[in-house]
Amino acid sequence: MKKRRLIPVVLLRNGWLVQSIQFSRYLNLGNPVWTVRRLSEWASDELIYLDITSDDQYDLRREDLGAPNRRTFLEIIGDVSKVTFMPMTVGGKIRTLDDIQVRLSLGADKISINTMAFDDPTFIGRAAAQFGSQCIVVSIDYKEVGGAPRVMVQGGRRDTGLDPVAWARTVEERGAGEILLNSIDRDGMKSGYDIDTIARVCEAVRIPVIAQGGVGRWEHFEEALSRTSVDAVAAANIFQHTDQSVYYAKQHLMEAHHNVREPGLISL
Amino acid sequence: MSADARVCVLDYGSGNVKSVANLLEYLRVEHVVSNSESAIGDATHLVLPGVGAFGAAMQMIRHNIPLPAVDAAVHVEHKPFLGICVGMQVLAESGDEFGVHEGLGWIPGSVRRFRDHGLPVPHMGWNEVSATNAPGLLGEHRTLDFYFLHSFLFEAANPANVAAVTTYGETFPSIIRRDNVVGVQFHPEKSQKAGMLLLENFLRL
Amino acid sequence: MQYCRRCVYPILAVNLHMDAEGICSACRVAEQFDHLTDEFWDARKRVFEETIAKIMKKGRGDYDCLIPVSGGKDSYYQTHKMVIEYGLKPLLVTYHGNNYLPEGDYNRDRMRQLFDADHLVFGPSVAVLKKLNRLCFRKMGDMNWHAHCGIVSYPIIVAVKFQIPLIIWGETSWDISGMYAPNDLVEFSARVRHEHDLRGFEWYDMLNDPQEPLTEKDLSWAKYPSDEEIIRVGVRGLYIGNFFRWDPNRQTAMIRERYGWKAAETPFERTYRCISNLDDRYENGVHDLLKFVKFGYGRASDHASKDIRTDYMTREQGIDMVRRYDHVVSKDLAHWLEYVDMSEADFWKTADRFRDKRVWRIEDGQWVKENIWGGASAYGPVRL
Repeated sequence: MKKRRLIPVVLLRNGWLVQSIQFSRYLNLGNPVWTVRRLSEWASDELIYLDITSDDQYDLRREDLGAPNRRTFLEIIGDVSKVTFMPMTVGGKIRTLDDIQVRLSLGADKISINTMAFDDPTFIGRAAAQFGSQCIVVSIDYKEVGGAPRVMVQGGRRDTGLDPVAWARTVEERGAGEILLNSIDRDGMKSGYDIDTIARVCEAVRIPVIAQGGVGRWEHFEEALSRTSVDAVAAANIFQHTDQSVYYAKQHLMEAHHNVREPGLISL
Repeated sequence: MSADARVCVLDYGSGNVKSVANLLEYLRVEHVVSNSESAIGDATHLVLPGVGAFGAAMQMIRHNIPLPAVDAAVHVEHKPFLGICVGMQVLAESGDEFGVHEGLGWIPGSVRRFRDHGLPVPHMGWNEVSATNAPGLLGEHRTLDFYFLHSFLFEAANPANVAAVTTYGETFPSIIRRDNVVGVQFHPEKSQKAGMLLLENFLRL
Repeated sequence: MQYCRRCVYPILAVNLHMDAEGICSACRVAEQFDHLTDEFWDARKRVFEETIAKIMKKGRGDYDCLIPVSGGKDSYYQTHKMVIEYGLKPLLVTYHGNNYLPEGDYNRDRMRQLFDADHLVFGPSVAVLKKLNRLCFRKMGDMNWHAHCGIVSYPIIVAVKFQIPLIIWGETSWDISGMYAPNDLVEFSARVRHEHDLRGFEWYDMLNDPQEPLTEKDLSWAKYPSDEEIIRVGVRGLYIGNFFRWDPNRQTAMIRERYGWKAAETPFERTYRCISNLDDRYENGVHDLLKFVKFGYGRASDHASKDIRTDYMTREQGIDMVRRYDHVVSKDLAHWLEYVDMSEADFWKTADRFRDKRVWRIEDGQWVKENIWGGASAYGPVRL
């Protein structure tokens, strides 16, 4: 039976691994590669690696560390893929088909597009035709505007006026293989997922949906798995707080009888 | 075992070549990523990774890979060959993704889309691979979880070529095999311990 | 060079982030900690009690917990809390890097007299230590790497060996950079150890150096246990600072009064505080001098920034501390050079290699940098 997935998300900002709070505050955690090695060592089901840098300054600001100070995103992804032993989705600033090709050749299995999917209505279709739908994830960030959820692009700064359920249907029609649904309001708030919106999006589409935004306890993963048909549950910040986090999260979910892979360890 | 293997990883231009190379590196297996006839001739094992659409893949394979050399290595010298994902699908005689396309025809069968079972497509995630005969490429395991990422599946014309099956709405071959030619629908290079086990068993062939 | 508008940190401080208002992440996190109410801390205390009960259940029973201690002010506070307030029987574990000040020796050795606790003091071979001092100075501009490593490796090795699942740490050390927020409830992790304590190096990076030959056996104390071992024993490292309001000045006053804890008798030259780092004479001295050589700020900036955040000092006073102390070449340099048998010329030749271009420029054969109080100054000749 196909298992549901538990997916850690790694956020990269200006060369730093960061925690994110409501897309507006960031805490620098450190090296953007070593954490992926740990996530691999805990046999994570998948990895989502998002570049949320708004300019092109990548700089850890020192050259005396054990790992090199990489100044470009592509170099970072090259390092990351060497320590990634699970499927990886890479996202952030994807504008052309060439951007997609380059990341796939550097080790990504899937690519996540966000702003471009909205700005160019043909982009999803063209990407799916060239690389296959299964390679194309559309990431949908949304927040409450005037009492209703609205899809935002450009790192949460531009309002598209669209409802996430409607937009999800549109991107599915255009050829997206998977949807990464992220609540900006709940990002980093540790109060749990937005179950209602997640459930509605899952009911509206036939492609797999990944939920993100708001996890503060392992029980929040359980809520999404029990109360929606979501295919995968993702989180960024929480996996950076404790050691063997993914292992213990999986153990918790398995003991609660959810249909997930059992915890495992790999020595790298 | 793997100590003597020399793997040539074929790269038709849209494959997940780096991940396969990374895994071989981790397993300390001598390998090269190349399409040259000399590398193909020198290798003991060949691997064809693949992501993307069937038709596009076949086009690029014909364009970038010296098929006569690979054919000779596989069918005359009987070097073990492993096709991964689309690399398995192209082993078929034909595939119908975005139109009808001709495959390599090394294992009789055709490639078609999943039927509508009400489940999300693509088939994406970790699922059980159950060996039809043991011991095989799964070693002494009857069933192991591997990572799948596909919307199309292989319909084998000859059940003898089906080495393992997986169920997702319908039961389909997840490992096919005809003598030294092996195809896996899943991604061993992304399947952690299970993938490492499978690769090591393949390298023993 | 961008400085925080509230404290005195430059943007180059480890992991620091400056927001749009020019306030650094460490100040922002301190703000969050400041606003925590008594109710918050009451709830946290309950979480602490539930959590330690759960962790201790997996223990074999010899000791209730393990407390890594140096004999410093925090060590006393942590031990006091676990022994006196919670009535637990800990195993105290010290990594002895061979750099203790006499007051530090005194404080450390009295712990098992003052607290009903067994105390394991471990020190690597001095020959190995000297090699690591020289090697790490050359490799990464930090002769004290061995100590950073030992402190976060050896106690965990012991916890696994003795099957003691609960490890009690003290300060939430990342608040120096604002890496985590109060609600993150962070625990000790191998990632933070590797990246921040060890700066991305491990014991295996120290082997096979032609000038300082070291073997695997020389470094067994530096090998962090595997995930498998950690999970099997159920080891988890909790930070007291996550569960109880942390106030170093009040805590120090308590331990001095109750236990006769001694501060440094001779003032440090590179900082105004005398209560820190008695376990390592170089930590505030030549080790910290290297931080100044690299990044243009030192321990006084760290201490002043902390004291500004807790309202013990104004920013102007902080800047004054920076001006007086950050650049000082302390006398322990001579002590260290004798310890590792190195000349001062060689020291500066190596140290100068680590000057960060973002901070330093060369003018007339001198290293020059901007000052937080305005303008630029020369801070010594170029000796590359």
